[in-house]
Amino acid sequence: MEPEKIHVIWLSGQACTGCTVSFLNATHPSLVDILTGFIPQAAGITLDYHQTIMLPWGEEALKAVEAAERGELEPFVLVVEGAVPDEDKAGEGYWCAIGEENGRPITFSERLKKLADKAIAVVAAGTCSSFGGIPHGKPNPTGARGVMDFLGRDWRSKAGIPIINVPGCPVHGEHLAEVLAHAVLALRGYLSLPELDEWHRPKYIFGQTVHDNCPRAGLYSDGKTSHAFGEPYCMGLLGCKGPISHCDAPKRGFIEGVGGCTAIGGICIGCTEPEFPDEPYGPFLKKAPATFFIAEKIRGIIAGLDAVWHRFEEKLVGRKL
Amino acid sequence: MVKKEVLIEPMTRLEGHLGIHAVADLEKGIYVDAHSFVVMFRGFEIILKGREPADAIWITQRICGVCPTPHAIASVQAVDMAYQAPPPPMGVLLRNFLHGAEQLYDAALGCLVLEGPDYSEAAVKKWNPDWWEKARKAKAPNAKLHGYKTIADIMRALNPLSGELWLRSLAVEKLGRKMASLLGGKHPHVVSIVPGGVAKTLTPTDLEQYAAMLAHHVAFAKEFIPVMDDLLDFVLSLGYEECGSRKVNLLSYGAYDDPEAYTARYEDMPSWGLKRAVSPGVVIDGELITQDLIEINVGVREFIDRSYYEDWAGPSVAEDPAGNPLDAKHPWNKETKPKPGPYKAWDSKYSWAGSPRWEDWKKRVDGFAHALEAGPIARMWVTAKAGNVPESTGSSLKFTLPKAAVAGYKVVDEMEFEWKIPERVNTVERVRARAYYYAYTAYVMYNQLLQALEMVKAGKAEVWRKYKKPKDGMGVGMTEAMRGALAHWVVMRGQRIQNYQVITPSGWNAGPRLSDVDLGPYEDAIVGTPITEPTEGELSGIDVVRTIRSFDPCLACCVHLYQGDRCIREIPIC
Repeated sequence: MEPEKIHVIWLSGQACTGCTVSFLNATHPSLVDILTGFIPQAAGITLDYHQTIMLPWGEEALKAVEAAERGELEPFVLVVEGAVPDEDKAGEGYWCAIGEENGRPITFSERLKKLADKAIAVVAAGTCSSFGGIPHGKPNPTGARGVMDFLGRDWRSKAGIPIINVPGCPVHGEHLAEVLAHAVLALRGYLSLPELDEWHRPKYIFGQTVHDNCPRAGLYSDGKTSHAFGEPYCMGLLGCKGPISHCDAPKRGFIEGVGGCTAIGGICIGCTEPEFPDEPYGPFLKKAPATFFIAEKIRGIIAGLDAVWHRFEEKLVGRKL
Repeated sequence: MVKKEVLIEPMTRLEGHLGIHAVADLEKGIYVDAHSFVVMFRGFEIILKGREPADAIWITQRICGVCPTPHAIASVQAVDMAYQAPPPPMGVLLRNFLHGAEQLYDAALGCLVLEGPDYSEAAVKKWNPDWWEKARKAKAPNAKLHGYKTIADIMRALNPLSGELWLRSLAVEKLGRKMASLLGGKHPHVVSIVPGGVAKTLTPTDLEQYAAMLAHHVAFAKEFIPVMDDLLDFVLSLGYEECGSRKVNLLSYGAYDDPEAYTARYEDMPSWGLKRAVSPGVVIDGELITQDLIEINVGVREFIDRSYYEDWAGPSVAEDPAGNPLDAKHPWNKETKPKPGPYKAWDSKYSWAGSPRWEDWKKRVDGFAHALEAGPIARMWVTAKAGNVPESTGSSLKFTLPKAAVAGYKVVDEMEFEWKIPERVNTVERVRARAYYYAYTAYVMYNQLLQALEMVKAGKAEVWRKYKKPKDGMGVGMTEAMRGALAHWVVMRGQRIQNYQVITPSGWNAGPRLSDVDLGPYEDAIVGTPITEPTEGELSGIDVVRTIRSFDPCLACCVHLYQGDRCIREIPIC
C-alpha cells in the first residue's frame, strides 16, 4: 500500500543555516533515511522545499512554496529555521526578504504567515525560530522573535496542533530528525504527539537539565570541580550553565555519539533556553546562580540518608526483593 | 545593443540572503553590468555592544552556521589580544585542529555539493547541451586514480541526490564536523574555544581518534583532487578562461598558527603571521606587495556609500597599538548604524553588505583603496608565491600526502600534489584552488598532529593558561574562513565591548560598488563573463551562477529571469 504523502516545506528567516548543517549530522535516522522511508508507516515524506538540502532542478521547488501558500499542497509540515524580524521597525526598507512580487520584496514574515495558515503542523528548528535566539539578544535591533511569539502562544495549526519547538543553537540533528519522524507517526495515528513543556519543547528531549545528563555530574557530587580549563571535573566554577539549561547533548554526544559540550570539557552556554544569549546565560564565563547547587546538595544529602536508612531496614526486616 | 536583465534573488547565502542583478549584451555575448545585494540584516555588532568580549567567541560563530569555527578563531585572537591572554602551544594546536576539521568539511561541501552540481549531468544537459556531447567522448586523464572513465562519468557522479561523488561527499563532510565535535563538543558552533587556550580535556585517545578520521580525508583527497582537475581542465578547454575573470587583486590573512610563535601580542603579529602554514599577503595586479599583518590591518577600510547604513563620526581610536595612525573608515573606528532603505535602488544604497577596500597606505603601488578578492585562491596564491613555508616554490605549492589505508578508497600510497599559480583568477581556478586547499589542509593537519604527539611526549600537554583581564584593551583577529579572509576587531572599555566589528570574506567579495569603475569582486567578475548557454530563448544565467558559486556563497539560489521589467520565469538552481 502506498502511504499518503506528507510534504515538508523548510523556510529560513534570520538564520545562519547552522540548523540545516546540523540536520545533516543526524545519523539514525538520517535525512536520507527519513526521505526513503524504510518502514511503510514512516514512508512517503517528501521535502518539497529546502534551499540547501533538496536540490530540485527546475521550477518545481518554488512552485511547491506557492502551492503550499494557496493550500494546494496537502498535507504539509512547515519547518522554520531562523528568527522572525519585525518588519514594522524597518521603515521604508526591510530586514529580511525572500523573493519578490511585482518589483516589491516579499518579506520572510509575510511568507511565514501565509504558510502557517495552511500547514498541518509547524516545527521550529533551533533556538532562533523557537525563541528569537541570537538576533533577539539585547538590544534586539531588528525586533526578532520566535515563531511562537510571532503567531501567538495560543496559536494552533488547522489540525489543532501547537507549535513544536526544538531549540538548540544549532538544533541537535538527531533531535530534529526524531521529532520529525515522531510527528509523522503521530499524524498517522501510531503515536500520540510528544508531550511539550511550557516552552513547547518535547519533554522527552528537554525534560532534564544538562547537569542531570552530564557525565561529570557524578564528579561534582564527589566534590571534584575543575579550576582551570582542561581539567576533567565539573565545569561549574568556569561558567557552565548546565544546571539551568535543558538538553541531553552531554549524554548523547553531538555527531554519532562524539562530542557533547560539557562531556569534552567545555561549558554549557544555555543555547536551548528562551533567554539565550542574555542573562542568566550570558556572560558565558560567569558562574551560574548558586541556588541550584545548594538545592542539589540538600537533595543529595536526603538521598544519602535514604540509602543508609534502606540498608538498615534491610538488616532489620530482611530484603524485600 | 540587445540587452537582457537577469535577476537572481533570493540567492541565499550562509550569512544571509543574497541577490544578483546582471545585464547581458546579446550582441557581444557577454555580461556587461552586475549588482550584488544582500537582503538580510541581524545586527550582530549592535547585539555585541556592552557584553563581555569573551562572549563574542560564541556569539559571532552564529553569524554563519556553515563556517562558524573561523569566526571563533578570529574572535578568540582578538580577545586573546585585548585580554593579554596567550595560549600555551597545545592550545594553539587544538585550535588549529578545530579550524582544519571545519575546512575539510567545508571544502568538500563547496566543490561537490554546492558548486559541483553546476557542472553535473543534470545542469550541463540542460544549459550546455554541446558540452555534454563532448564530455561523453572526453577520456578522463586521471581515470586510473578515481575510476571515472570519461568526463561525462564525472558529471553524472555530481548529480544532486543520486551522483556517487555527491553522496560520498556528504559522508566525508560529516566526518569533518565529527572531528570538530571531538575537540569542540559540537559542530556547528564549537564550544571549546576560550581566551587563553581551549576548554578541552585532552584524553589519551583524542589525537588518535582525530588521526583516524583524518586518514579518511587524506585518502579521499587522492581521488577528489584528480577528479576536480579532470573536470575543470575540460571546462577550461571549452573556452571558460574569461568566465568570472578579474584582475589578480587578492587578500589572505593566513591561517594555522605555529604553536610556538603565536603570542597574541599585536606588535608580534607580523612575525607570527609569517610563520603560519598558510601565508598572509596582499596582491595587487599580480604583485605580492606586503605580507606584514600590521600593515594589512591598518589598510582595511569599510565604506557604506552604497549600503543601508548611516555614516559615523570618527575616528574614535586614533592609533593602533603600534602607533600607526588609524583612518576613520578603519573597523576599529567604524560604528554600525543601520538604516533600511528601498529595494534595488541601483543608483543609491542597495545592499546590507558594506564595501570593504584595502588602502595602500604605505604607497607601495599607488596609494589607492582596492577591492580585493578573498578565498582559497588568494590563500594558495600568496602561500605558493611567498616562500615562507618549505612547500612554497615561488610559482607553486608542492606537498606530499602520506600513505593511508582506509577501506572504501582507491589510493593507499603517498601522493604528491602541486598547485601551480594560474595565469588568471577566474571561475574555474577559484574552484580548483578550493579543492587543493582541502588537500593542503589535510597535509598541514597531519604534520601538526605529529607535532602534537611529540609535545605530549615532552610533557607539554597544557591546553589553557590563566589570565587576568585588564580593564581596557583592543584586539584584532585575522584568519581564514573557507571562503576567504576573515577578521574581527574589538575595543574593550571597562571590561566590556565598546565596539566590535567583523568583516567577512563574503563582505569583501559580495560588497556593492563604490562607483561605476570600482565594483565589488562579485560584480567585477560577472562583467565580461561570456554567455555560453543558447541565447535565442530565455537566459538562465548559468554562467553568472557558476561565477558567483566559484566564490562559494554556499547555498542554493533562485534565479528570477527578467526581460525589461517583466518577470518571465523563475528557476531555482541549487
